[in-house]
Amino acid sequence: MPPPNMPGMPPKLVLPGVKHVLAVASGKGGVGKSTVAANLAMALQMSGKKVGLMDADIYGPSVPIMFGLGLVDQTKTPFPIERFGLKLMSMGFLVDPTQAVIWRGPKVAQAVAQFLAQCPWGELDVLVIDLPPGTGDAQLTLSQQAPLTGAIIVTTPQDVSLIDARKGVKMFAEVKVPVLGVIENMSYFVGDDGKRYDIFRSGGGKKLAAESGVPLLGELPIDPRVAECGDSGEPIVKKYPESPVAKAYASLANVVVKDLLSVEPEGLPAVVL
Amino acid sequence: MTGPTPKPLSLRREGDGLRIDWADGTSTFAEWKHLRANCPCAGCLDEKSRPPDPLRVLSVREVEAGPPAPVAMTPVGHYAYQITWTDGHGAGIYTLETLRVLGTSTDSQ
Repeated sequence: MPPPNMPGMPPKLVLPGVKHVLAVASGKGGVGKSTVAANLAMALQMSGKKVGLMDADIYGPSVPIMFGLGLVDQTKTPFPIERFGLKLMSMGFLVDPTQAVIWRGPKVAQAVAQFLAQCPWGELDVLVIDLPPGTGDAQLTLSQQAPLTGAIIVTTPQDVSLIDARKGVKMFAEVKVPVLGVIENMSYFVGDDGKRYDIFRSGGGKKLAAESGVPLLGELPIDPRVAECGDSGEPIVKKYPESPVAKAYASLANVVVKDLLSVEPEGLPAVVL
Repeated sequence: MTGPTPKPLSLRREGDGLRIDWADGTSTFAEWKHLRANCPCAGCLDEKSRPPDPLRVLSVREVEAGPPAPVAMTPVGHYAYQITWTDGHGAGIYTLETLRVLGTSTDSQ
């Protein structure tokens, strides 16, 4: 047997005022996961919920730019930062965007745990966590230590995205975190002629949902204003609430709230030694 | 066993091992020494993959620990338990699947 001085598991994090913790994940990068997380959080807030958004992408944080924020003076700024009624936390508030975070896994895990446990999140109905792509340290830390209610998987329609999204579903199944469903982003585009164009093929989200045995929560259309709003610091759900994309997010928020309420607590029993 | 592992309803020390009652009505028992010998941590798996070293000297703590016994067994997320042993080792995360496989299906005492 190896030497006994191996590192132990940090204790499970407790978020007493947070009713539900929702992870937004994908296996693959570039599917719009941060955009979905930001707009879903905003849509939940606009539906009357108290919502937080934690950016768990330590290497490539997106939340600051999507909310018109950036590096802040840590000595003067209380975290989480409030914007549009959302409570936000991100590595991008702490590190200059021109600098790279060059960390090994344990440091990433530590940062994620600190964001969760040391931020005074207060009373929240939902804390949305924007996960980085992949199935690595951030995901494992959250699965082991955070009281996750469930996860949603974001994909785009094409097979190259589905390959990795499947791995995300598989990971959550392994760690027994309920997958609430799949969201297909960049699903289609409605042209000026009113016709629907499946730019990145079609049916991927439906296919993944079916083979994973989870529902397809929604198909989000492509709208160039989504990117424009993301870059200008105001989510499209807030800036153009009457747009088809914003309405799709509002529907998605309703579904997610119902699903979160229906998830049975999965906590494990204590051991009597 | 096929399909997903059922949830454990209760886990308790029973004699020199661990008794688990599962949601499907099965009850399993595993001796602590069996669980310790099958620690799934990377260090133990690596050790098991090598030929045994007959000249390895036990540490004082390992000697003093005596037969394997847990000092703590805590849930990890929704899917596993971590056992810390009297010899100080505590890196093994035993998934529910692992605990189910390592246990023998028997009636409790």
